[in-house]
Formats: sequence, structure tokens, C-alpha cells
Amino acid sequence: MTKLLKIEWLKIKNYTAFIVIGIFFVIGVFVTNYIVYLVNKNIVGKMGGGLVNAFNPYNFNNTWQTSSYATGWLLLLPGLMLIILITNEFSFRTSRQNIIDGWSRSEFIRVKLLLGLIFALVSTLLVVITALVFGFASQTTFGTNGISHVGYFFLKALSYNIIAIFIGVLIRRTGFAIGLFFIYMGAENIISQLLDVWSLKLKRDGIGDYGSMGDYLPMNAADGLLTFPDNPLRSIAKNSLPTDYYWIVLPLALGYLLLFLWWSHRRFVKSDL
Amino acid sequence: MSILAVENLSKNYGHIKALKGISFSVPKGSVFGILGPNGSGKTTLLGIIMNVLKASGGSYKLFDETPTDDHRRKIGTLLETPNFYHYLSAVRNLKIAAAIKGHGEDDIDNVLETVNLAQRKHSPFSSYSLGMKQRLAIASALLGDPEVLVFDEPTNGLDPVGIAEIRSLIKRLSAAGKTIIMASHLLDEVEKVCTHVAILKQGVLLASGNVNEIFVHDDIAQIAAADMEKLKTLATGLPQHKKLVEADGLLELHFAPGTLDLSGINKYYFDRQVTLSHLQLKKNSLESKFFELTN
Repeated sequence: MTKLLKIEWLKIKNYTAFIVIGIFFVIGVFVTNYIVYLVNKNIVGKMGGGLVNAFNPYNFNNTWQTSSYATGWLLLLPGLMLIILITNEFSFRTSRQNIIDGWSRSEFIRVKLLLGLIFALVSTLLVVITALVFGFASQTTFGTNGISHVGYFFLKALSYNIIAIFIGVLIRRTGFAIGLFFIYMGAENIISQLLDVWSLKLKRDGIGDYGSMGDYLPMNAADGLLTFPDNPLRSIAKNSLPTDYYWIVLPLALGYLLLFLWWSHRRFVKSDL
Repeated sequence: MSILAVENLSKNYGHIKALKGISFSVPKGSVFGILGPNGSGKTTLLGIIMNVLKASGGSYKLFDETPTDDHRRKIGTLLETPNFYHYLSAVRNLKIAAAIKGHGEDDIDNVLETVNLAQRKHSPFSSYSLGMKQRLAIASALLGDPEVLVFDEPTNGLDPVGIAEIRSLIKRLSAAGKTIIMASHLLDEVEKVCTHVAILKQGVLLASGNVNEIFVHDDIAQIAAADMEKLKTLATGLPQHKKLVEADGLLELHFAPGTLDLSGINKYYFDRQVTLSHLQLKKNSLESKFFELTN
């Protein structure tokens, strides 16, 4: 596998788009978190009214959850990068040439999926660094409570990346694939919101608490595990919201991940190139 | 040993049957031409052998064995178009190809020299002309000095000098004992460099075998006289001629290679009181041969 990765590295290390998007992502992670940090410190923190201003999202242990949640919004970038890297192979027809030169089809797609894993690991590492930086900047004592959210972030990053790879393998054309990635994400979010409203209604009418049903969809499952830390006000409102069933959403998210892994592999191995 | 043996191979794209049960084999050391007009299934056939297309039926063997990824590493292939990373230079592209084939990088300069790309080896692929891209693809196929080479339309996009260079390269490779499988729609190309040929048309194999056996050229004599009817009647008595065709007010007499004797024909008619107003040896053009083979 290291041999395959080395070849993959030869493909991307001199690719301008890869370098540019990579830099945007790293800067973006810090800037996004810094903005959230500043807004909280200078606006929310000065609003007065005991309950809210005592709450700092970047205190240890909140910082793990806040950084994970805020950075989650930027996971589009590695996904986009993966779509471009995959569809490039189709438009340059190097997907064919790599096989002709002696890779098996499985090797070709496995190393791309591995790249998705590596992007997810690097993103997670960035989150850990960000969480630590802003945690210490808030001058609170180090703690690891809530670090599970970094794990959720990793799962979300990996899910986004694998879905991106799947769309790339399925659509093959850069523009269409990126378009579909965005349209799908938008569509799923709208459906998810509707399902959430329905869940709320079902609970309010006393029919049943089925959790936030919007979180049961492929991309939202990984999303649903990551939330902004509950500030005291929201904690009060929580009783009227549907319960977040982590024991449903987590296995679902893992299930979707495995499904897209398997499907991407199968699709590339079985079809004409 | 046969380098490639194809057994009843077929391929359907939906309703369209691109290959309809093709069988042939490529002997070691041959220059094997796959000849056919556009859309006859040449690239589809090679695509299946290189595992980028899935066959709908039939099978094939490489080096007398069930094909594996390792077999493809031992074959240098240019399939249809030069496929490279546009943003990388020739050298960087060849490093990737060499790594996939499991070779070192030491012969990269060599192969670029062979195809006259050494001077532009650090320019990005996207800046290359069509002919340069084709040369790079041939260079890539030569990496690691493989025993077998597959060239799909190798002279596509090349200027006349480039075409001549590639043909002499193929001859050099063949002289060095390599087996070369070459697809082409140019009969002239196949005839000049190939020892064996398979002729495809609309997914059907029309003929395959030794070039000298497949491309037998009849010698043709064109004749005319004032009384064409008498000319025709008498022609049946002409010794050794194979067939008689009427074209453009002339009679064309076909003879097996080396048996045509123009003065004999003249004498034959003169002895029977017919004076020929036209007597000419006709060169059978390659194009007409191609039409004859594929129609």
C-alpha cells in the first residue's frame, strides 16, 4: 500500500489546485474558529445576563466540541479536492492508463479511498491543534472531556470524503460531479430540515419521540453527531426537542460509510473505463 | 508460444455489437497488424485485452496463461489516445508510469531520446502538440524495454517525418525480437511493417494470417478494342486468367501474381484478328485492395 501511496503522491505533489485548496483549507480552519472565538468574546460575552456570558465555547472542555463543529463546515474543501482528483483521472484517461500499465482496478480505487482516509486524518489533526490553541487562548485548564466530538468530526470528514469519491467515480465529469455534490448536499439538507420539523411535531403532539429524523440521511447522519455546545439557554429548551439518539445515528453513519466505500470500489472494478 | 490468444471474444454496448466472436492468435516475434476501418472494433478488442473494458463473452490468454496484472506490466501499450496528467511534465508523467510498471527511472531519458522529446522533457504535457503527445505515449510504452508492444494507431497525429521514424522504430524493435501488436486503419502501414494481419469489419474477423497470404495482389491487364463483345467472348479462351471484370469501357483481366504476360495477350488477340486499341498493366491500388477486403 505504501508503494501505491508513493505513486499517488507523485500525481498530486506538483498539482497547483491541490496546493491552493490545501492552503485555503488550513487557513480556513483557523480563520473560521477565530471568527467564532471573536464573536463570542466580543459580542455574546458582553451581552450581560449571567447565564449566557458565563458560557465560553472555547473553554476546555467545550473547545473540543466547538472546534469540531465549526471546522465541520469546511469539509467541503477536501471533498471538492477528491472529486477533482478522481474526475481528472477520467478526463485525462489516466484511469485507463494506470490499469494498462499494470495496476489492478482494485488497487486504483483502493489508493483513492485511502487518500480520502488520509485527508480525513489530516483534517482531524488540524481540529485537534485548533482546539488546543483556542482552549489555551481562553486561559482555562486543560481537560479531555468531550474529546469524543473530535472522533465524530473524523467520522464526518471520512463520510464526506468517501461520498465525494463515490460521486466522482459515478459521474466522471468534473463539473457535473461537483454540481451533483452540491445539489445532493443541498437537497439532503432541505429534506433533513423537513424531517426535523416533522419529528418536533410528532413529539409535541405526543405521538412519539423518534429523535431528529433528519439525522438519519447519509450526509446528515455524520453531521448530526456534531453540534454546537449547548449554552445554558438551549439546555433549557432541549426538553421540548426530540431526543438525539446517538445509538441510532452513530451506527447509521458508520453503515452509510461502509456502503459508499463498498459501492465506490464495486463501481470502479465492474464498469468499462 | 503465442503471445496473445483470443477465443470467441465479443462485446456489446447496449444493442450495438462491437465485437462478434473474434478468435485469432499472435505468434511470438511477429509484427501483428489489426486492420479495419473506423469503428470496426480494433480499439475495443485491445481495450478488453488491457482490462479497461469488460468482455461480454469469450476469453483471451496472454503468454499462454490466464491474464493477470503482471502480464500487463510486461507489455508496453499505447491505447487510442496518449493518456497523461496534463499538469505534469513528460519526465514526471513517465516516473508515474515507470513506478506502476515496477521499473526504475533510469531509462526515462533513454526513451525520451528515442522519440526525440529530450529537449522538451520538462515542459508540461498540456503544452505539447498532438504529435508530441503521441511520441510521449510511445516513449511510455517503451519504458522497461518490454518484450511485447501494443500500438493502437501509432502514427496518429504525426507528420510524415514522424510517421517514417515510428515505422523504422517498429522495424528496429521487431528486428530485436520484440512482438508488436499494432492496430491501424491504414493498409499501407500494415503492409509495410507487419508480418501477420487480422482484418476486422464491424466486429467480425474477415481474415487473419500471414501478410503475404492475405494480401495477394492479382496482376491486372486492361484491354479494349472496337468490338468489345468479340473481345469478351475470346477472353474465355485466354490461358491462366482468373477472372474478368468490365469497368469504364475496358475489360480487366486478373492473373495470379507473376503469370501476366502482356505481349502474350496481344499476340492471342492478334492471332484471332482482333487489334487491341488499349493494352495496359493496371497497378492495384492499396485503397481498392482495402475496399475489396472490407466490402
